[in-house]
Amino acid sequence: MLHTSILLIVFLPLLAAIVGGLGNRAFGNTVVKTITTGSLFVSCLLSWPIFYGFISGTATAEVVPVLQWVQSGNLSFDWALRVDTLTAVMLVVITTVSALVHLYSWGYMDEDPDQPRFFAYLSLFTFAMLMLVTADNLVQMFFGWEGVGLASYLLIGFWFKKPTANAAAIKAFVVNRVGDLGFMLGIFGTFIVFGTTSIPEILEAAPTMSGATIGFMGYRMHTMDILCILLFIGAMGKSAQLGLHTWLPDAMEGPTPVSALIHAATMVTAGVFMVCRLSPMFEAAPVALAMVTFVGAATCIFAATIGTTQWDIKRVIAYSTCSQLGYMFFAAGVGAYGVAMFHLFTHAFFKALLFLGAGSVIHAMHHEQDMRYYGGLRKKIPITFWAMMFGTLAITGVGVYHLGAGFAGFWSKDAILEVAFARGTGLGTFAFWMGVFAALLTSFYSWRLMFLTFWGKPRWIESEHIQHSVHKTPEGAGEDTTGGYQPHESPVSMLVPLGVLSLGAIFAGQVFAPSFLDDAAFWGSSIFFNANLIDAMHAVPYWVKYSAFVVMLLGLFGAWLAYIKDTSIPGKFVDQFRYVHRFVFNKWYFDELYNFLFVRPAFWLGRKFWIIGDQGIIDRFGPNGAAWVVQKGTVAAKKIQSGYLNSYALVMILGVVAAVTWVLM
Amino acid sequence: MDFLLSFQLSAPEIILAVAGLVLLMVAAFAGNKSAQTVTYLAIASLVAAGAVVVELFTNDALSQGADAWSGLYRMDAFGNFTKLLIYLATIGCLIVTPKFFDAKGEYRPEYPVLMIFGAVGMGIMVSAVDLMTLYIGLELSSLSSYVLASYSRSDERSAEAGLKYFVLGALASGILLYGMSLVYGFTGSTSYLGIRAALADGMGTGALFGVVFVLAGLAFKIAAVPFHMWTPDVYEGAPTPVTAFFATAPKVAAIAITMRIALDPFGAQSDAWQQIIIFAALASIVVGALGAIGQENIKRLLAYSSINNVGFILVGLAAATEAGAAAMLVYLAIYVAMSLGSFVAVLMLRDKDGNQVENISDIAGLSRSHGLLALCLAIMMLSLAGIPPLFGFWGKFVVFQAAVQADMIILAALGIAASVIGAFYYLKIVKIMYFDDPADVVEAKGETSRWVVLLVTTIFVSPLGYLLTPWLGDLAARAASAMFFVI
Amino acid sequence: MTNLGGIAIEHFIVVSAILFVLGVLGIFLNRKNVIIILMAIELILLAVNIQLVAFSAFLNDLTGQVFAMFVLTVAAAEAAIGLAILVIYFRGRGTIAVDDVNRMKG
Repeated sequence: MLHTSILLIVFLPLLAAIVGGLGNRAFGNTVVKTITTGSLFVSCLLSWPIFYGFISGTATAEVVPVLQWVQSGNLSFDWALRVDTLTAVMLVVITTVSALVHLYSWGYMDEDPDQPRFFAYLSLFTFAMLMLVTADNLVQMFFGWEGVGLASYLLIGFWFKKPTANAAAIKAFVVNRVGDLGFMLGIFGTFIVFGTTSIPEILEAAPTMSGATIGFMGYRMHTMDILCILLFIGAMGKSAQLGLHTWLPDAMEGPTPVSALIHAATMVTAGVFMVCRLSPMFEAAPVALAMVTFVGAATCIFAATIGTTQWDIKRVIAYSTCSQLGYMFFAAGVGAYGVAMFHLFTHAFFKALLFLGAGSVIHAMHHEQDMRYYGGLRKKIPITFWAMMFGTLAITGVGVYHLGAGFAGFWSKDAILEVAFARGTGLGTFAFWMGVFAALLTSFYSWRLMFLTFWGKPRWIESEHIQHSVHKTPEGAGEDTTGGYQPHESPVSMLVPLGVLSLGAIFAGQVFAPSFLDDAAFWGSSIFFNANLIDAMHAVPYWVKYSAFVVMLLGLFGAWLAYIKDTSIPGKFVDQFRYVHRFVFNKWYFDELYNFLFVRPAFWLGRKFWIIGDQGIIDRFGPNGAAWVVQKGTVAAKKIQSGYLNSYALVMILGVVAAVTWVLM
Repeated sequence: MDFLLSFQLSAPEIILAVAGLVLLMVAAFAGNKSAQTVTYLAIASLVAAGAVVVELFTNDALSQGADAWSGLYRMDAFGNFTKLLIYLATIGCLIVTPKFFDAKGEYRPEYPVLMIFGAVGMGIMVSAVDLMTLYIGLELSSLSSYVLASYSRSDERSAEAGLKYFVLGALASGILLYGMSLVYGFTGSTSYLGIRAALADGMGTGALFGVVFVLAGLAFKIAAVPFHMWTPDVYEGAPTPVTAFFATAPKVAAIAITMRIALDPFGAQSDAWQQIIIFAALASIVVGALGAIGQENIKRLLAYSSINNVGFILVGLAAATEAGAAAMLVYLAIYVAMSLGSFVAVLMLRDKDGNQVENISDIAGLSRSHGLLALCLAIMMLSLAGIPPLFGFWGKFVVFQAAVQADMIILAALGIAASVIGAFYYLKIVKIMYFDDPADVVEAKGETSRWVVLLVTTIFVSPLGYLLTPWLGDLAARAASAMFFVI
Repeated sequence: MTNLGGIAIEHFIVVSAILFVLGVLGIFLNRKNVIIILMAIELILLAVNIQLVAFSAFLNDLTGQVFAMFVLTVAAAEAAIGLAILVIYFRGRGTIAVDDVNRMKG
């Protein structure tokens, strides 16, 4: 039963992608959309029972072999699908969000001329992501890893006629290469050290390797630290952590459903998943874990600061994603992998909800994405408003400890903060304070988004998109700042996913917290579960437990003050702290720094390689040189063939003489 | 000595020889009018001889082969396989010939008779197990070829081709004979068996000279570099059907005897000749390809192409193994089809006055005026270039596989690399036919018999040919093992 | 090997080698007349014949002499065909100078 259903879950999306992609225009929009969306819903329906099996404790981890893959010397691995608790969690997240995003896209992409291609890409992505999470060995995981990277590239650049979309797609691909290099080196190193790529075997052997050292270029280094740091570099790339985060905000050039599926709920969490999957390895690598914690905490606060300054609604949510991924990483870094996975799980629902809600707003506002031109939309698009509201309540972590009730983010984010505090190490405490401060900022920018979008007076006429729509200029509109534009609520196909995800944002924490946080049996052997740490987490002082709640209220108050009470405050604040604001607004100048440090030197080097290496050496002595030799050879061959009997006879005799000389020598 | 058995074993040659003499009489007494009849009879006699070969081939009692005529002649699978190829090629050439000379009114009954004598000579060659038999067979086929090359009396180029072929051929015969006499003198025998026995424990300088001279003489017959110089001129000058004949049947016979001589009497001393063959193979591949690139005459181009292909076949010989020999035979079978098909397609390229179109530039845009013909020619070209999935690829593949199995990886690598040069001019023809502006010179008139030959060879060369690989491979393996069985 | 009246086999081989080389030189040094080439070919065949017969005598084996008879026969046929081709060529071109035989080349 499980065998069949897991095979269907993983390969139905692939089948749909192939059929839809190849069928494309021959099948027409509706057929392809039905095939892809239908197969995703089947996958989704099959996933939940598996997940429920693990929740209820009736299921056990299994490996379903698919095909033999590589047998080469002592390197051998097969295609096999591994189903355990960790996989089951990812399965429901991926298939549910993907199915809903497919459905949502019916409405959102309705006017696009290339819909079959879009849906085929979406299904292809889902297949690759499922391969990643069901991987039984590192190579298969890498296959999925690269597969999602490819799908992400294709989807970011889906509107390939837009130069910015192409640039963003290339940037995402190239930045991910850096991370992937680390991941690859990590896989190679793991194979060298453990002699296998099978994940269970590696994890079994990992604890015994703790303390082993490896010599490299004259240095003795801690084997597990090196391996885990390399693997984590891969995770940093895919999960957009500080340093390799620059691609994620730009990736918003893709269609909004893509942002919701790939750049919020699933692909970007692959790094967290990988760290959790290999948690026994990381447990044997203290330095690497410290690095995970530090990078996670730093990303968390860094991205949140930028989020408070951005105007583009999708970029705000993108930085928010980046920040939330930071939470997950430092949770994993302090050793609470279950908590990290829990936040991944709840985050998938509310962040997908926020993105899809933002998409719905953008849809309503004639593709305007700048929040400065929103305002007062609460009454116009009430369903979207409520969906966004639930998402915001979830991400800001609204909930009261003593009531034992709260939205999804409350359960998971508070657990992260508590566990970081409970860890008791200096780094844990640092992460805790960073997390609390980030929670303040999260609350601020989330409510800022809500207030700018749904409250206040309409400022629509200043948007060029709206101007195009109503054929008026701001001057022509006069007092009427709506410009006469009528925002329209999205179609049912878009509202249904919002509703379903709202349920997730409201209840996912409440319902699943006991299993995810406390139940060692639920996780089984799929991750490293530190029961003592969890006990300590529950025993933290009340001020810790309420800290997140308090900063949430502070953030809400700040946002209310600045964007509803007195809208002149932001302007004054910016004037006061011009340099700080500019620094943050320009994303800490990371792009400029990278441009200067890497991009331009790389271009310079590439140009040199091209002119000197390619044209000067390879082409000159390769194809062009060979062609030149052949040309000369042809002329020579024609010249030798003089037509004279004497010379023909001479060549023959010379041949005989040469042969005789050769054999006599 | 059992004459009856000897007659039975050499029946194909005897049938053809008698048929040739009878038809010569018919030709002499009935005059030019009998040309068509004599052609049919010649084809019939070739079919009859072929049927006898098939009978001998499938006769279980003779499956190990048998000696005839006091050890001068041997009937075995190798001879039968190559003889079938020779007869099929000769029949194919005879079928497509008459129309060619119709335009000039030059077709005479001695043409098929000469073809028959050529076939007799080639049959004797491939079945010879004695230098004397070999020489007689070789000369019989060569003398027929000289006459055929200069057959077109109205064409000056034909006479020049005949003259060049004759002079250089005679020189090659002299070199071969000189080598034979040395081999005879230093081994004390002219039979393959005796030579092999004498060379088994080593070889003196005299015999070494002999071996080199014999191989040089044979290299002329197969047109391997540096004994290839006659090929382009003769192929260009000879009437097209004769060129088609040269490129098929005598090529099979010459390669077959080269293989047999190298592997059977000289097989024990393969170290002595392997290096020479390797050089000849690579040089043929390269020179054939380079020469072909500069050509504007399609017959000349095909001549260089045949030099190039001989190089590939010799790669199999350089391996000096049974697998290599089998690979050569497979390649030969495919090559005969490709070569015959290409020349038949060329034969069908006529201008308004019915003259042969030879300039490559004149077939520009052929695909638009003569789609099927262009398609067949394109398939032949791509197959000659060894592009999968066409059958020509298989021939190259088995040959290189044999070389690799014999640990001649460098030879195989160089050969494959050089074959890239060759691909250029084949593709150029395809490009000219399909993508250039029509020259509108060609006015091909359909003639059923030619179309039959062209389509049969095209289908053989097409991917459908792979269906025959088990059968062809099995026959070739049997033929090759027959040669090694003698040892 | 027996000694034929004091003449060793080496002598025969040398003589035949010299004749062979002369014949070969005759083919590619001669630039005047195709007929001379035909004569050079005959010279080569004679060199071979001398060698065959000498070996036959020294080996006490008749095969060589039989071979020589075949060679003679074939040589006759070859000469006939060669001359016939030459006649056709002369009819068409009006010359038999070796240097003129290069209509086709390249």
